[in-house]
Order: sequence, then structure tokens, then C-alpha cells
Amino acid sequence: MEKLSLHQIQHQLMDFLIKDDQTIEQEIMTQGNVDNKTRLNIYKNAYFSRLRDVIDTDHEVLGLYLGDKLFEQMVAGYIKINPSNNTSLRQYADKLPDYLQQFPPFSEHPILSELAHFERMLLTAFDAQEADRFNRQSLQEIPHENWPTMSFRLHPSVQICQFQWSTVESWQALKAKKNPEQAVKSPKQWLLWRNSERLTEFRSLEFVEQHLIDMLLHGNDFSSLCDYLLEINTDEDASNVALSYILKWVDQGILRQ
Amino acid sequence: MKKNDHYLGFGLGLRTEHFQQVLETRPPLDWFEVISENFMVAGGKPKHYLHEIRQHYPMVMHGVSLSIGSTDPLNYDYLRQLKTLINELQPEWISDHLCFTGAHGINSHDLLPVPYNEEALQHIVDRISQVQDFLGQQILIENPTSYITFKESDMSEWVFIDEMAKRADCHILLDINNIYVSARNHGFDPQDYLTGISPKYVRQFHLAGHTDYGDYVIDTHDQPIVDPVWDLYRDAVSRFGLVSTMIERDDNIPVLDDLLSELDIARKISDSVISNSITSET
Repeated sequence: MEKLSLHQIQHQLMDFLIKDDQTIEQEIMTQGNVDNKTRLNIYKNAYFSRLRDVIDTDHEVLGLYLGDKLFEQMVAGYIKINPSNNTSLRQYADKLPDYLQQFPPFSEHPILSELAHFERMLLTAFDAQEADRFNRQSLQEIPHENWPTMSFRLHPSVQICQFQWSTVESWQALKAKKNPEQAVKSPKQWLLWRNSERLTEFRSLEFVEQHLIDMLLHGNDFSSLCDYLLEINTDEDASNVALSYILKWVDQGILRQ
Repeated sequence: MKKNDHYLGFGLGLRTEHFQQVLETRPPLDWFEVISENFMVAGGKPKHYLHEIRQHYPMVMHGVSLSIGSTDPLNYDYLRQLKTLINELQPEWISDHLCFTGAHGINSHDLLPVPYNEEALQHIVDRISQVQDFLGQQILIENPTSYITFKESDMSEWVFIDEMAKRADCHILLDINNIYVSARNHGFDPQDYLTGISPKYVRQFHLAGHTDYGDYVIDTHDQPIVDPVWDLYRDAVSRFGLVSTMIERDDNIPVLDDLLSELDIARKISDSVISNSITSET
């Protein structure tokens, strides 16, 4: 029998792991009391359990929401159609929100995809790039004449998302080991970030604050924020209101230097 | 007894469960090994702890994704990230495994075996040379555990790995537990393995636990080290001399004090072999 090349052996072993193609078994020497299927299945079990553990670790609360049976069904379905194509396992479950949105029975419960999305955002905030933050002292050092053209930037860990369902409320309940309320429609914007203590935080956003943060993301300066506030509210001094938002963001560690 | 020029002493794998205690108590160990991929992220708490701990301990970096045996092209995105982390951490050395982790762009995230033959040997030697050129330093390659032997293999793992180190001008990270596990799974004598490796290539030892299923053994890194592995470690110190030694524990992670006690066993075995050797030399 002609010997296989290194390339052929590797492809056969990967096809066994990913597609359950048994061809590689013919290339294995029989040794001792352990048959070749058992030997090969050590690799297959390791492949599956490693990917399963990543999903389990990354999506602890989603797992609680689903319960063991549905969680294992989700894991098996996801792994089957999503072989890893990244050197890091950190990205392995990135497509889980899409999977839950597309495939029944999970797609019949849209809160599941949102829960997975929320947990992925927490992970992104957790290991986002470091950056020096604005503090009150550095704000005071901004020359008065520079304020109108001052553009504030968000810390790299900051993320904004909109959920249609009571997703974050359910996540909080499960995290506190309580039963979540039944999922209800509850559209809200959420802000997530990693604070200066390197702990991940999140809170909901009212429309005005969300709009102001959007303006920061688009590079608008302080005077533009004031102009917007002036448009929507004539009762208060727009620059004071804008400054109070800036101070709130500085205190929460949302603005980078 | 010859002392390895790069001897670091006795270390542990740095695990997140122990970050706080390591920083607060500065436990009495000589160095840490870190899993490179765990810190190939932009920032965050683990990386912050890593840099804090680095200020107090020498470190080496141990990778699991180099895939040196793969017939896929070398992943230069990965190598660039690795180089960035090397520049940040300034480790004493870096290591990875004699294996392939994937093919046609799909990653198994496992350390899969290669056949031990001339084609694989030359392929791996060429890739180690490319990696060493890119990183600007020699690397260590670790002997794997394996559960299958390919019919295409026509040499032993120890002949393969020794020849690999010679041709590629790299070093060997000798995992004592892996030798034991593979010896049980394939029925070879672990002493043949030790005597087949040239001492000049060995720069580091790994010690670890495994799970014994009777007919076969799986390298799980979730149990204490067993006596036959300690015995093999004693033989390894006799053959290779003082080599930087560490314990890998990746699952079922105990309190740090338990691992420090286990590390003391390694230290005592090594001390006893070295002092016996000095006595017999005088």
C-alpha cells in the first residue's frame, strides 16, 4: 500500500474530527489492548469537549437560561456547523448570536440571541485595549479657549447596543441566582465599558445621552454637543448640561485621553 | 553534575486562580510559565496581572498554536502577535509543541500527532528555522503525548525529536509526564526515550498529572503527579542534570499551596540526585 503524505494524513485526521470521516483509521497501527476507534475517539472527544467548554465558559448565563438539555443541543448544533478557523478560542463562539437567531428551536425565542450577544459584548469589554482615561484633573487642565473645539473620545472598551427584549434584566436575575421574569418586549439602548478598576459595567441609556455618545463617536466637538442640547432644551444652559454629561462620563471612566 | 547555562530553578504555570495570591504573597518559587495565547489580547485584567507579576518573577512563554507540523502555511498573523507579546514580556525563552493543530484553515485546538518519518522531520525542521528567523531567537519544542501511531512512521519519537533539535538548532522542552503517558499508550520503554535524547538540547522539563484508564492514559493535567512520573523525573535529572523544571496544572486547579508542595517534591528529588552525583564524583 502506498504511504500517505504528511498533507494527506493531516487532512484525513481533520476530516475525522470535523466530518466524522473514518478513512484515517486505516493509517493507524494496531497496538496493545486498545482498538484504533478508541484511540481516535480520544482526539474526537477532546476536540468536542474543548469547544464545548469555551461556549460554557463564555456563556454561563445563557446556559442557565436554557437549562442543561437545550444548552447541550445548542452546543452540538453550533460545533457541527462552526469548525474553528481562528488560532484563539477567544473568538470561537462569536457567531453564537447569529446561530441562535437562525436555528430552531432557539430562533423562536429572540431573547436567546440577545443574551448571547450581551455576553459576547461583556467579553469584548473585558479584554479591550488599555487607554489612559480622562479624569477631573485633566479636564481642568484644558484651556478655556479650547473647550468649544474639544473632541472627547470613548475608552476602547465602550460598546453600545440595542436590545428589543428584557435581555439584560434576565441576565441580571440569573447572575444573582434568581429566576428571570418571562421575556417581554422592552426596547432599550445599553452602554457597556470596563472601568478604571478593570471591572466591566453596563447601564441603560436615555435617548439624549445615547445621541450625545453617538455624536462623540462621529467626532463631534463640545460646541456641537451644546448645539444639540440647545435644540432640544431651551430651559437650561446647554453648556452646563453638556459639562454635566462629560463629568459623569469622566467619573465612570468612559472617556479616554 | 553539569548545570544548564539557562537554569531557572523550579516554577509553576501561572493560572488566573492564583494571580491575586501571587501578587500579595510572592510565593517562594523561581519562575512562571505562561500560556502565550491567553495573553494575546489587547488589554484587560489578566494582562494587567501578568505585567504586575512579571516585575517579580522570570517568565517563559509556552504556546499551543504554532502548529509547527502543519502543512498549512505558517500563520504570520499569529507569529506577529507572539512577537508583540515577547517584546512586552521579555521571557527567558518561548516554547511550543511537536504537533499540528489544524489543516485547511480549520483549527482543532488540540495537539495532533505527526508521523515520525523523514518527510515530516524535514518539513518541521524547515518551519522551525523560519520561525526562529522571524522571532530572532531559538525556540523550545516539546514532546507531545499521543494516542495513535501512524503506519507511515518509521522512526521512534525520541530519534525524531533529537534529530529535529540537531537539524533545526532548536532546544527541547522535555515533558516527563508526556513520555510516561505515551510509553503506556504505545508500549515503549520510557528509559529508551531518555537515553535517546541528547542532554545538550534539553532546556526545560514539564511535570504534570494524567488520568489513568487502565489500558490507556490521557494527558489531562488535572491530577497530582503520580509516583511513576516522579521516578522518571529522577532518572531524567540523573541523565540531563539541573534543568529548569515546572508543573503544569490546567484543570481542577488546586490552591497555590498544594502546587507549591508538589513543586517541593520535585526540588527534593532533584537535590537528592544532584547531591548523590556529587558524592559519587568525589
